[in-house]
Amino acid sequence: MKKVALAVTLFIGALLLYAAKDFSVWGHLQSPASASPVSKHFIADTGVDTEVPNMVTAVLADYRGFDTMFETVVIFIAGIAIIAILRRTGADADSPAIQRESDVVAEPDLIVTNTVRLLIPVIQLFAFYVLAHGHVSPGGGFQGGVIMGASFILVALAWDLPKALDRLSVDRAIMLAGVGILIYAGIGLFSMLLGGEFLDYAELSHVLPVSREMARYHAMLGVEIGVAFTVTTVMFAIYANLSTRGRLEGGL
Amino acid sequence: MSENSIALIFAFPLFGAVFCALFGRKSPNLCHPISVASLAGALGAGIETLRRVIASEANEVSYFFGGWNADAYPRGVGIEFRADYLGTLIMLVVVGVAFLVAWYSKLPVAEETPEKEGYFYSLFLLQVTGLAGISLTGDAFNLYVLIEVAALTGYGLIAMGSARAAAATFKYVILGTIGASFYLLGVGYLYMKTGTLNMVGIEQFITDNESLADSAAMQVAFVFVCLGVLMKMAFFPFHAWLPSAYFHAPTTTSCLLAPLVTKVMIYVMIRMLLTVFGVEFSFKNTHDDEGNIWTEVLPWLVVLAILCAATMALAQRDVKKMLTYLIVAEVGYMVGGVWVYNYYGLIGSIFHIISDACMTLCLFLGVGIILRKRKTTHFDGLRGLFRKMPFTMTGFFIGGFSIIGLPPTCGFFSKWYLITGGMLAERWEYIVALMFSTMVMVVLFFRLIERIHLAVTESGENIGHGHGDLALPKSETFFDEAPLSMLIPLLLSAGVVLVIGVFNQDVVNLLQDFLEPFNLPKGTGR
Repeated sequence: MKKVALAVTLFIGALLLYAAKDFSVWGHLQSPASASPVSKHFIADTGVDTEVPNMVTAVLADYRGFDTMFETVVIFIAGIAIIAILRRTGADADSPAIQRESDVVAEPDLIVTNTVRLLIPVIQLFAFYVLAHGHVSPGGGFQGGVIMGASFILVALAWDLPKALDRLSVDRAIMLAGVGILIYAGIGLFSMLLGGEFLDYAELSHVLPVSREMARYHAMLGVEIGVAFTVTTVMFAIYANLSTRGRLEGGL
Repeated sequence: MSENSIALIFAFPLFGAVFCALFGRKSPNLCHPISVASLAGALGAGIETLRRVIASEANEVSYFFGGWNADAYPRGVGIEFRADYLGTLIMLVVVGVAFLVAWYSKLPVAEETPEKEGYFYSLFLLQVTGLAGISLTGDAFNLYVLIEVAALTGYGLIAMGSARAAAATFKYVILGTIGASFYLLGVGYLYMKTGTLNMVGIEQFITDNESLADSAAMQVAFVFVCLGVLMKMAFFPFHAWLPSAYFHAPTTTSCLLAPLVTKVMIYVMIRMLLTVFGVEFSFKNTHDDEGNIWTEVLPWLVVLAILCAATMALAQRDVKKMLTYLIVAEVGYMVGGVWVYNYYGLIGSIFHIISDACMTLCLFLGVGIILRKRKTTHFDGLRGLFRKMPFTMTGFFIGGFSIIGLPPTCGFFSKWYLITGGMLAERWEYIVALMFSTMVMVVLFFRLIERIHLAVTESGENIGHGHGDLALPKSETFFDEAPLSMLIPLLLSAGVVLVIGVFNQDVVNLLQDFLEPFNLPKGTGR
C-alpha cells in the first residue's frame, strides 16, 4: 500500500512539474491573468465603482461578495456541524464526565490572569480596528473576527472554560453566528428588495443619504461586520467544543 | 420579483437554515415547517426560472450578483449565475428531491437525532443551497465554494448518524477534501492560462487562443479538474467512502445525499467538459479528428466500475448497503455516457442524472420506512412486508423497476439513450457492462421482491409456502402502513418516476435544444 501511495504521489508531482514549464512569466504584464479585462477593470476602476481604496477588500466584499457570503456560510457550517456531532443528548448528557488527569483544575495563575486582564482590552480594540479599517489597509471581517475570537479563547486558557462560557455561552455563540449570516445575506436581500440584484449594494443609496458608490463603501463595512460576528463566535464555539469533547466543562 | 427568481432559489433555504439554527434550541418543532416552507418557496422560484429560460430567446438566463452585469462591466468582474436547460433541470431535480425529503423527514429526524433538530435542518437546508448553487453557477471558483458548502454540510449530516458514522465520515472527509483540492488546483491553472474565472470567459478564451490546446498547464488543469470531480462523485477506484458513509448516515441524510450528491458532481463534469473546456479541447485530439486518449481510456474504466460495483452489490445482504453499491454502478453508467463521446450518449447521461435521482430517492425513502418499521434493513427483516405495508412496497418496487429499466419508468428511457449512444460510438464493451449490470439488478430486485412477498429465509427455505400467514406471527403481517408524512413523499416520488418516464420526450427535447450547438457526433464511428 505504501508503495502505491508513493507511486501516486510521484505521479502527481511529475504532473505538477510538467505543468510548471508552461507557466506564465512571474508578474509579466502580458500574462493572461494580468492582461485580462477583468484585472484591468479591478485595477483601474475599483475606486470609481466603490470609492474603496483597498482593491482587495472591494474584490472580496463587493465584486465577488457572493463568494465571500458563502465562505462565511462555510464557517457557520463548520461551527454547527461540530456542535451537532459532539453535543451529548438524553441519557448520554447526564452521565458523569470521566475524570482525566488533566481535568484536575489548578488555580488560575496570578501572573497569567493579570497579564491577560491587561491584554484583552487591547486585543479587542485592535480587532475592531482591523475590522473597521479593512477598506483602507489589509484587514476586514475575517481577520478582525479571528482576533476577537482569540480574546475569548484567551479567557478560557488563562482561567477555565466556564468563565469564558459565562461571557459567551455556546448556544449564544451559534445564535450570534447566525446573526452574522443574517446581516450579510440580509444586506443582500434588502438591496434586492430595493430594486437591484442580490447583493447590489448600490441600491442602498435609496435609503442612505449617500451616492451609489458610497453606498457600496458603507455596505462593505456592513457585510464585514456580519463576517466578523460569524468568525468570532464560531472560533470560540469550535474551541469550546473540541477542547472538551462537547462536554463544555472543566479546564484544559 | 420574477427577474430575481434565480437569487430566490437559494435565498429561501439560506435564510431558512439560519432561522433553524437560531430557533432550533428553543422550539425544535418550528424547524420542520420552516424547512418545508423554504424549500417550497425555492421550488416555486425554480419553476419560475425554468419558465423564464424557456421563454428567453437564447434559452438561457444570466443573473449577475451585486449588479456587475456584462453590459456595463467586463464579463467576470462579478459572479454570474447562468441558467440554461441543463443547469435549470438539475437545479429543479435538486430542489424537488430536497422538498420531498424535507416533507418525509419529520419523524425520522425527531427520532434519530433528538434535541439536534435545529442543527440538522440547518445543515440540511445549507446542503440544498450548495447543491442548487452548483447547478446554476457560471463561475468556476464560485463552483468550488459551493462544492465546499455541500461537502461540509454532508460531513456533518452523515456524522450525526449511528455510532460508526463518525469513522465512515472520516474516510469521506479525507477523500472529499483531496477531490476538492484537485478541482481547486485545476481552476487555479485555468485562471493562470485564461485570466478569468467566468465559465463563458474561459471558454471564449480557449476558443480564441488555439495555442492553448497544446499547453501543458491547460492539460494538467483538465486532468486535475476531472480527477477531482471523479473523486467527488465516487467513481470506481475512488468509491470507498460512499457505501459506508451512506449506510451509517441517518435516514433523512441518506435520502437527501444518495440521490443528489453524486449526480450533481456528474453534472459538474459535464458542465466543465462542454461549456468550460469546450468539446474541442475535452474530447478531440489536437492533431486529427480522432478522439483523444481520455475517450479511449475512460470507457474501459467505466466498464471496470460498473462490473465491480454490480458484483459487490450482488454480494450484499442488506438492502441499504446494496443500494449504496448500486449508486456506484449508476455513476459508472453516467460517466460512460459522457465519455463514449456521442450525442445520444450525452443525452442519456444527462437524462439518467435526472431519472436516477428520482428513482434513488424512491428507493431510499422506501428503505427509510423499512428501517423504521423493522429496525433493520437486513434481507431477513423483509419477510412479509408487502402484507404489512402494501403501498410503501409498491412505491419501493416502482423505484426498483426503474433501476432495472422496465418501461414505462424513466429508468428505461435513460438507459435506452445510453445504450444507443454506446452503439453509435461502437463502444461495445460499455454495452456489455450495461447489460451485465442490468441483469444483476434484475437478480437483486427480484430476490427482494420474492422475500418481501413470499417470506423466504436467508437459506432459501420457503417457510410460508407461498400462501397463508407466511409462517410469521400475526403481529408481523397485519396491515400497518407507514405514517402518511412518510408514505405520501414516497408515493409522490414513485409518481414522478412514472411521469418522467411517460413524458420523457419533453425532457429530451429540452436537452436536445441544449446539446445541439455543441456539434457532437451523432452517427457511427469514433
